[in-house]
Amino acid sequence: MSTNQRSSVVIVDDEEMVITSVRAYLELETEFEIHGFTEPEQAVKHMESHLVDIAVSDYLMPRMSGIQFLTRAKQLQPEVSRVLLTGHADKQSAIQAINEVGLYQYVEKPWENAQLLLIIQNGIERSKLLRELREKVSELDTAHSSLKNVQKRLLQAFL
Amino acid sequence: MSQTDPAEASSELASLRAKADRLAAQLVEEHKMAELGRLLASIVHEINSPIGSILSNNPVIIRSLEMLKAALASGDRAALEKAGRQVETCLSLAAIDKIACERISEVVRGLKTFVRADSADLRKADLNKQIESTLKLTHGQLRGRVAVETDFGELPPVACHASMLGQVFLNILVNAGQAIDGPGRISVRTRAEGGAVHISIADNGCGIKPEDRPKIFAGGFTTKAVGVGTGLGLCLSKKIVEETHGGSIDFESEVGVGTTFHIRIPVEQGNDPAARAGGRN
Repeated sequence: MSTNQRSSVVIVDDEEMVITSVRAYLELETEFEIHGFTEPEQAVKHMESHLVDIAVSDYLMPRMSGIQFLTRAKQLQPEVSRVLLTGHADKQSAIQAINEVGLYQYVEKPWENAQLLLIIQNGIERSKLLRELREKVSELDTAHSSLKNVQKRLLQAFL
Repeated sequence: MSQTDPAEASSELASLRAKADRLAAQLVEEHKMAELGRLLASIVHEINSPIGSILSNNPVIIRSLEMLKAALASGDRAALEKAGRQVETCLSLAAIDKIACERISEVVRGLKTFVRADSADLRKADLNKQIESTLKLTHGQLRGRVAVETDFGELPPVACHASMLGQVFLNILVNAGQAIDGPGRISVRTRAEGGAVHISIADNGCGIKPEDRPKIFAGGFTTKAVGVGTGLGLCLSKKIVEETHGGSIDFESEVGVGTTFHIRIPVEQGNDPAARAGGRN
């Protein structure tokens, strides 16, 4: 998996117009790398080989729902922040699904640019921190196990 | 109590009958509003994406134009180049705004043909168009789950109450969508047959149980959960098709395979409903 400097945002919506609008806004306001997909399957494929900081997805889509996609996204990249961007009509079922799979945020359509930007920025920071934390924990684990090894050898040497 | 005077009794009967008629009309109106309420939920979903896009695009376009204005005033080459790229973005956003506005107005237009209250208005109408605008209303409910196939034959203009027939099509389409659990298909076919127009709406849903079949056109019968169906949709549809238009409505169904509704509407409205009814299967 490639680690790049620019924060990477994945947007999935079966309506091209939503992707284009969000992309235009984020490109104007930020330096994020934006990857838009009208098919969730393609977004999954992208996430198999590219590190993503935040995934924003529509809820109702043909073949794969936003919840299914975001569940898959977490399996691929446990630290990715996941946001559901959805129409008002399916709010109840969306909230239920959010609670079931534990999403980071929920944004209603029509969305407000400034609010969406804030959520995306915070989500990116969150996933970066989580990744950092995981790295530190695994460093600690390595240090711990090498210490244990040393201790074992010391005990073997002296006993 | 004294024995009732026959004249008094018949006047009481007449007033009771009038009351029953009023209640029936009220029920019809309530059913229509309930249907409309459900429909609105999916319409809201349908127009939220285009509205979101337009609301998002507008400030981006304004910001870009301001950038361009500043770049033109300064004459700075790098700023002009950046503004030039931003103009491309603006052009694509403007194109999207147009599509988004068209989408919203299509939905609103569909809604208008549905709620037009001129039920007394008997006009020549293109039933293919009426079905198309009804399909636009159900699009949000079916989108992504149920594929809708249309096979429209060439139809003569039909003298009818188009908005009432729209209500019939809507009832049957909504039922078809609800009969399908998960992904499925609805096929709508129209043909001119003799002096009538034949509309068939087929779904590959759960089908109607044999014991329910004789009851489906009866008022108050529903297999749907409380709050989902009023149990009046098909009862009203039958009334609209048969009594108002002198047509026919029937269905074939197989459990686990699906249901097909056949609606036949005579092209011309005569005075004698029996004489003008279209051919049956």
